[in-house]
Amino acid sequence: MIRGILVFNNHGKPRLIKFYEHYKEDVQQQIVRETFQLVSKRDENVCNFLEGGSLIGGSDYKLIYRHYATLYFVFCVDSSESELGILDLIQVFVETLDKCFENVCELDMIFHVDKVHHILDEIVMGGMVLETSMTEIVMRIEEQQKVEKHEAGISSAPGRAMNAVKNIDLSQIKDMKFPDVQLPAFKNFKL
Amino acid sequence: MPTVRGDGMRGLAVFISDIRNCKSKEAEIKRINKELANIRSKFKGDKTLDGYQKKKYVCKLLFIFLLGHDIDFGHMEAVNLLSSNKYSEKQVGYLFISVLISADSELMRLIIQSIKTDLSSRNPIFVNLALQCIANIGSKEMAEAFQQDIPRLLVSGDAIDLVKQSAALCLLRLLRAAPEVAPSGEWTSRIIHLLNDQNMGVVTASISFLDALVKRNPSEYKACVSLAVSRLHRIVQSPYNDLQDYTYYFVPAPWLSVKLLRLLENYPPSEDPSVRSKLNECLDQILNKAQEPPKSKKVQHSNAKNAVLFEAISLIIHMDVEPALLIRACNQLGQFLQHRETNMRYLALESMCLLATSEISHDAVKKHQETVINALKTERDVSVRQRAIDLLYAMCDKSNAEEIVQEMLTYLESADYSIREEMVLKIAILAEKYASDYSWYVDVILNLIRIAGDYVSEEVWYRVIQIVINRDDVQGYAAKTVFEALQAPACHENMVKVGGYILGEFGNLIAGDQRSSSQVQFELLYSKYPLCSVGTRCLLLSSFMKFINLFPEIKNIIQDILRNDTNLRSADAELQQRAVEYLQLSKIASADILATVLEEMPAFPERESGILAKLKKQKELPDSSDTPKEQKHLPQAIVNSESVSTPERNGGGGIGMSQGGSMDLLGLNSPVADGLPSSMGGYSQHQSQPQSASSSLFDVFDSPTPQSHGPPAHQNGGSGGVQLVSEANAKKFLFRTSGIIFENEVIQIGVKSQFSPPQAVGQVELYYGNKSTAPLSNFNVQIRNSEAESLLTQLSEIGPVVQISAQVKQVVSTKCMAPFSAQPHARISFTLGNFPTNIDLLIPVYINKFLEGAAMNGETFFARWKKLSLPTQEAQEQFFAKHPIDAAATREKLTQFGFAVLPNVDPNPENFVAAGIVYTASLQIGCLLRLEPRRDDAKYRLTLRTSNELVSKSLATLLKDEF
Repeated sequence: MIRGILVFNNHGKPRLIKFYEHYKEDVQQQIVRETFQLVSKRDENVCNFLEGGSLIGGSDYKLIYRHYATLYFVFCVDSSESELGILDLIQVFVETLDKCFENVCELDMIFHVDKVHHILDEIVMGGMVLETSMTEIVMRIEEQQKVEKHEAGISSAPGRAMNAVKNIDLSQIKDMKFPDVQLPAFKNFKL
Repeated sequence: MPTVRGDGMRGLAVFISDIRNCKSKEAEIKRINKELANIRSKFKGDKTLDGYQKKKYVCKLLFIFLLGHDIDFGHMEAVNLLSSNKYSEKQVGYLFISVLISADSELMRLIIQSIKTDLSSRNPIFVNLALQCIANIGSKEMAEAFQQDIPRLLVSGDAIDLVKQSAALCLLRLLRAAPEVAPSGEWTSRIIHLLNDQNMGVVTASISFLDALVKRNPSEYKACVSLAVSRLHRIVQSPYNDLQDYTYYFVPAPWLSVKLLRLLENYPPSEDPSVRSKLNECLDQILNKAQEPPKSKKVQHSNAKNAVLFEAISLIIHMDVEPALLIRACNQLGQFLQHRETNMRYLALESMCLLATSEISHDAVKKHQETVINALKTERDVSVRQRAIDLLYAMCDKSNAEEIVQEMLTYLESADYSIREEMVLKIAILAEKYASDYSWYVDVILNLIRIAGDYVSEEVWYRVIQIVINRDDVQGYAAKTVFEALQAPACHENMVKVGGYILGEFGNLIAGDQRSSSQVQFELLYSKYPLCSVGTRCLLLSSFMKFINLFPEIKNIIQDILRNDTNLRSADAELQQRAVEYLQLSKIASADILATVLEEMPAFPERESGILAKLKKQKELPDSSDTPKEQKHLPQAIVNSESVSTPERNGGGGIGMSQGGSMDLLGLNSPVADGLPSSMGGYSQHQSQPQSASSSLFDVFDSPTPQSHGPPAHQNGGSGGVQLVSEANAKKFLFRTSGIIFENEVIQIGVKSQFSPPQAVGQVELYYGNKSTAPLSNFNVQIRNSEAESLLTQLSEIGPVVQISAQVKQVVSTKCMAPFSAQPHARISFTLGNFPTNIDLLIPVYINKFLEGAAMNGETFFARWKKLSLPTQEAQEQFFAKHPIDAAATREKLTQFGFAVLPNVDPNPENFVAAGIVYTASLQIGCLLRLEPRRDDAKYRLTLRTSNELVSKSLATLLKDEF
């Protein structure tokens, strides 16, 4: 089982925290710090597995991580998961992000945390692998997009209109100077 | 595809940019607090917030949470979003809940209500959101609320694949939260048949669920084996791009394959030959594919391929029946040991650890010893080095122990601090387990202390002392070695402890050499004294005290030390007390008494090494030290969780001796106050040993339980009849030291005995276990001893009641004054209900308990044999073989009996000759034995020659009919 998924940058700033077991806010931050300590001091070219930190279950758990440019992707898993399998799963997650964001970068993870979560939810659910086919995952995300677009376009129009009306400053309207309008003279009309 | 960036929320982007532009932590916090206040007021005041705005604020809160700030509001707003009919708002609501809300939130009932609505929605993406939320929170409450709905979704005909997938994982999560909701009955086969589902995604998800169910109830789901094998077969056989979306970098469905292989590991090899051959074919093919040239240079390709391969190897090891596959697996792992990718080397080492525990492949693994040692030396990654150590530990056996231990010692000097303690434990265990020569063992442990003293735990140095005390062949060597080790200007304190203890016991063995005379030894130890901690100083004081006995010539110097203010008036109570008492003892007690009180330690009872217990506790070894194979090598069978007794407690014995040296104070109200007590007194220390922690007799003894042949106690109750324990049952204790000696419905009596022949003393512990349903009252034990002058016995005090299921221990201390032939009896009487019961128990103290083997060469043997030629000195018996004639078994029996069997002495190799000495308090009796089996008529002739007629006769009688 996957116990938690952490993404943080080279300075240890968390970009995604997802636990499949409830931890308190401060414990979560401690885990991020501890994991960062463990992972960041490792050279490139060493292996991608190491024993979990004390907070997340110690030696019964393994940290499996990958380092991409500025970001570390760390999965904390128990012994029932295949190490290489999880390593590939990280790759699937990243490739999916890349497809969805078209060349994903750290900024995307910052500004679109919600989207990243939604993508992750299509891959891992309750700590278990839900879907591994990238095509399938991307398709599901596209579907969500469509629904969202649809809602934003048509169905939300009345709401927006209401808002616009609500936001009109009536005092401004009062002070508005209407120019004298010259009405056309009807008298010239010939009937 | 269009990017998901879309036209996001501007307010959110602005806020995030603001935060990112903050120059300092303070500014950031200020900005966040401002935003929190803003959101709070919006949530409170503005009742007309629309979904979009709520969504925006919730996203902001999520971001703030990610930065490490606790969010204590907004929960209600998030829950409100759940009932929105817009997907995007609902989605954010669920996101907030699964990230921020814990299972015990008071909002849970509202959330469950919303989830219920969404689950029954006709829109599958709403259903999916609800399922995801359940899986992410997975509380017991949810398990109860949805235990009907979700299984239906999983097997329903019209649910789309996406929903089925989620439902499977959701059920798995709920199963963990509330195991009692496991589906059963009709569900079983429907769940198993999900393995055949068209959609690979559904199979992948449901196999995780199935795996959890199988772990709980393997027999119920047994049918899944053949389906899983078929599915695996289809995947392995498929051309590489046949599975389209589920082909990952040219590897067909790697995740599903891994899961299928893991699922199969829950079962023993299938009994159905067709399933088995199909599976073997799969495994074979997976191994074959490893040798094929890669279809892609990408690391993902090799990762995925090898993920399946490692899982296959793990399954091969698990089945442990196909030698061909096992050897192939081992060769494959051998290749990986040299792989250029660190990950592969790591995993290869890890899998090989498992392989080393299989009988079939153990030797194949040993071929890679060089490579593994090399890995230990050259790997840059500590994780990999650690796996190498684990593997070395697992592959170690008698043949390579010396080399492996040496390599580990060398590595220890430069090892990472984080793994040193574990390494020390492992080295200590290997050295003990495979030591053929105990001086090597002593060297290894002293090296350990020298190299990594700080990481040597108490268990390790206690153990070396136990072993040195128990094996007299190594004592002199140990004394010499510690003496040399202590010469170093800076010694680790643990070294001082071991050195102090061993010199205190065996310093006399090396005192003959001028360079290590008593004075030199003392000065050496005392030079370390001021720098040591209080605990070590206490130990050293005991050692000095023992020196007074070993080396009377330096008594004055030691008394001066004791008198020294730093000791006699030490601020530390323990130290002060020892100094005072030891000083007093040294002044008052006569040399005889001192010699007794400060006598050499008796042997420790054999027990499981405390080190092993510690290692097990500290870390679950990947090579699983509880596999049967490993257990065969465990040093001892008496498993005792409190197994480490401190030698200090065992031997220090200081307290209580002080007040005048009178023997009564030593805890024995000796009935024979004059002749015997001095030695008994010394011996009484032994009883203060920490007792076995096992409270139940039924655990301690694993011997087959002899049932009493007599009528059950309560049936002859009232009459006060006596039950006799049959001689035959007691006679098994000729060859063993512990077991059950008597048992009926009411009581079980166990025996554990321990003798030290050279001192002519021993003790038998009797364990009375109450098996009945009422307490045994008026419990009383008396000894009847027909040869009370030859064999002194003394009983320890016990209480009058043995409670239900309780066990009471009583110690019979014995001393052999002269040869004897009859055994003492214990008359045990108690009342159960109203029925008095008596049991007459033979206490298994035979003359051979005071027999110790004496090794000698053939010449000496025959010379002595000839000397003992008087007819009274010889006893001969002829008898028919009771057991098949088996040289090894006979040799073992003679050894257990107490003799040293002398090989290659008798000209006829079929015959056995053996020698030993019977020790009594007054004299030592040399015993020689010859046992001649005659195979043709299955008879034995047994001849014993000793200097004492009685001894010859009793030994011959005891051994008669035992072969």
